[in-house]
Amino acid sequence: MASFIIRRLIALIPVMCIVLVIVFSLVRIIPGDPATTLLGPGATAEQIAALRAQMNLDQPVVLQFWQYVAGLFTGDFGVSLKTGQPVAHEILTRLPATIELSVLAVIVAVVFGIPLGVLSATRANSLFDHVTRIVSLIGVSMPAFLLALILQLTFGTWLGWLPVSGRLSPYVPVETVTGFAVLDALITGNFAGVASALAHLVLPTAVLAAFLAATLGRFVRNTMLDVMGEDFIRTARAKGLHNRQVVLEHGLRNSLLPAVTIIGLKFAEMLGGAILTETIFAWPGIGRYMFEAIKNRDYPVIQGTTLVFALLFVLTSIVVDLLYGVLDPRVRRKMG
Amino acid sequence: MTIWKAVAAATVAMPLMWTAAHAQEVDKLKTLVVAVPSDPVALEPGTNKAEPIGSEIILNVFDTLVAWTAPDFSQLEGRLAKSWTVSEDGKVFDFKLREGVKFQDGTPFDAAAVKFSLERTKAANPYVKATFDLIKEITVVSPTELKITLSAAYPAFLSILAQPQSAVVSPAAVAKYGDKFASHPVGTGPFAFKSAQADTNVVLEANPDYFRGAPKLKQIIYRVIPDASTRRLELENGGVDIVQQQGQLSAIAAEDIGALKANRDVKVIETSSQIIRQLEFNNSKTDGPFANVKAREAIAHAIDYDGLLQGVFGGTAERVYGPLTSNSWAFNPKMKELAPKYDPALAKKLLAEAGVDPASINLKLYSFQGPLWGAVATFVQANLADIGINATIEQTEFPALRTLQTSGQFDVALDGRQPWYNDPDAHITIGYLSSLANTAMTFRMPADKDLDALILKAQQTPDMEARKALYFQIQEEIARRVPGAYLFSPKLIVYARANVEGLVINSAPPLNEYWSVYKK
Repeated sequence: MASFIIRRLIALIPVMCIVLVIVFSLVRIIPGDPATTLLGPGATAEQIAALRAQMNLDQPVVLQFWQYVAGLFTGDFGVSLKTGQPVAHEILTRLPATIELSVLAVIVAVVFGIPLGVLSATRANSLFDHVTRIVSLIGVSMPAFLLALILQLTFGTWLGWLPVSGRLSPYVPVETVTGFAVLDALITGNFAGVASALAHLVLPTAVLAAFLAATLGRFVRNTMLDVMGEDFIRTARAKGLHNRQVVLEHGLRNSLLPAVTIIGLKFAEMLGGAILTETIFAWPGIGRYMFEAIKNRDYPVIQGTTLVFALLFVLTSIVVDLLYGVLDPRVRRKMG
Repeated sequence: MTIWKAVAAATVAMPLMWTAAHAQEVDKLKTLVVAVPSDPVALEPGTNKAEPIGSEIILNVFDTLVAWTAPDFSQLEGRLAKSWTVSEDGKVFDFKLREGVKFQDGTPFDAAAVKFSLERTKAANPYVKATFDLIKEITVVSPTELKITLSAAYPAFLSILAQPQSAVVSPAAVAKYGDKFASHPVGTGPFAFKSAQADTNVVLEANPDYFRGAPKLKQIIYRVIPDASTRRLELENGGVDIVQQQGQLSAIAAEDIGALKANRDVKVIETSSQIIRQLEFNNSKTDGPFANVKAREAIAHAIDYDGLLQGVFGGTAERVYGPLTSNSWAFNPKMKELAPKYDPALAKKLLAEAGVDPASINLKLYSFQGPLWGAVATFVQANLADIGINATIEQTEFPALRTLQTSGQFDVALDGRQPWYNDPDAHITIGYLSSLANTAMTFRMPADKDLDALILKAQQTPDMEARKALYFQIQEEIARRVPGAYLFSPKLIVYARANVEGLVINSAPPLNEYWSVYKK
């Protein structure tokens, strides 16, 4: 197991190098540089040139690359061209918001998606199954922005139960300790803050979780149906096992492997930022941060966030592989 | 037993904590929540590059020496300066400063602080290099007297002093925070900077010792809401009090204005801007269909200006008659008669006189991205089709469009300019001086000794009446050359909750001052 993890971590190095080279050159191939974009349509060539010099963009690209890589080894991701703040610090201040949202969304999706899939499969072609399948089809195919708007209008404007956007009410300040709003409010004993933070989480979590829950539900249903037709299920039943044991221990466990892959991939994607959801709900996360950076041609930020995403993605896939081992003894033996 | 103790303790503690938490809640009537699309870029004069959100915050946290007087912005008033005189040659400005003013950190404001601030911006801020380089010397005559000497006469200099980049910073705070000053800006303004959270908000607190009187609000919260439809929902729900203009763009989609005007909880404040949007020709080009002035005139007559204002903008934009908007102090009223009128028959005739066969023209109509520019481009395309010209719309990402434009690789483009300082110089010099043709998105005017001389003279004449006369003449001269078709001037639109009063909206730059604002 340990050697498996070490092998995977070593394999990370070339991946990161390739990502770095690609993103460093790609951002410079897109037309328009940060100085032009920042100054807007009214600027003169003189103003742009002066700003380029101030941003060190007038140096040769190879030199810029060299300086960037040298900085990386000391943990320096450079400074944002837009704000002048260190990129590493800016990423760290936004990461908690995204993690908070993604973790909650995955939990909600798993809690709803997997049982729905199981129930659908065990009651295949019943009314329950049909309704679940239609609802999950809608969940998979509805664009996030539409679902978000429907939820905002229903629960925010019409019913007035939940806030439309943001992470906390502007009228309920919460002191920042860890960067996780709910946790910070709890630590500082700010119960109005806890309530506000939780209320603000509901809608964006629902939008993010809807797609994943629907996907999981459909997936688990289908694999369960396959698995439940296998010989070992018949054997289990023949042994006189209770139906619940057959479904959960023999059926579900064997259907979970592909579901774990989906959860892992989707979770990694969410950590990479749900740009649309974060934008619509004014959620100060990492996806929106990167999106803004691309619009502004903020090279160091684009590079830094891409590296972090790549890292998170690879780490998540290592965790998924480890989970495979937990779920499947055959895989565990191969990892050995 | 211990469990019961814990439960008992919690029962006592919970309500206490709940009250404590509620005590932290903010008085809603004393708090103004302003929706902005993104974080401000630079919160202090030394790094500000006219980015609208940061600029507005600067104008509320800091003060400038002078400012334009609301509501028509045709007169300058003293802010940190009590009065001033300008020498006859227009090069020396003598300021008498206000006494007893204090920065938000308690240190006193004086002439040395002004000198420090302006010299600091001059050294650090490339954005204002062209104008600040004109400053030859700043002399502290006494703590309340300051002399600024320019190397050449530049009457718009007072307008430049009203800009956010010219705001006066606390030298003590700059010494204390160094290059972190933008995270801890300290000025003399009505609101003091309290905190900023990335992509979330910027909080300003009232400065009770403000020299014009304490503001009526206790605090202002700038809430970052990137999505336009979310901003609208929050405004309708009361989650924000003000949705403000974002520089050149409307903060809420134009088609939503009707619904918001019908909403009794919301008021829509409209005011004329000095922004001009035009269809511009590549005037440096000596070949191509529009080298002949008659062909350019034809296009100017082909456009249904009133139809565009009503059809595309539903009245949220105004007619522009020439190179200056009609609310500029230098606007020549004669331009209203000289401006081309919509007349497709005349347009066709002019094309024929120019010897241009419209069927032979295949135009690429370049434009910025976005649905609004798309709608304008489509309207213009249809007008051109009416006189037999086929045009394809090329909506291009800004940096690429700038490259195309400044290198002259186009025949016609939709473009525009938002002047950041309130002076005709901001439109005329950069737009039409031939020596600047390739340096920015301009009309690319060809070398033209007479017009160039006139523009430079108007830029440098200290006497305001003489200046005005020169700009009158320039407007007519430019109109005769038909460098483009002036399409429209979008109004500045700020959306506010119905209980917000006392808002002052500047027209150039379009920034709000919140000192006088209160909620009913």
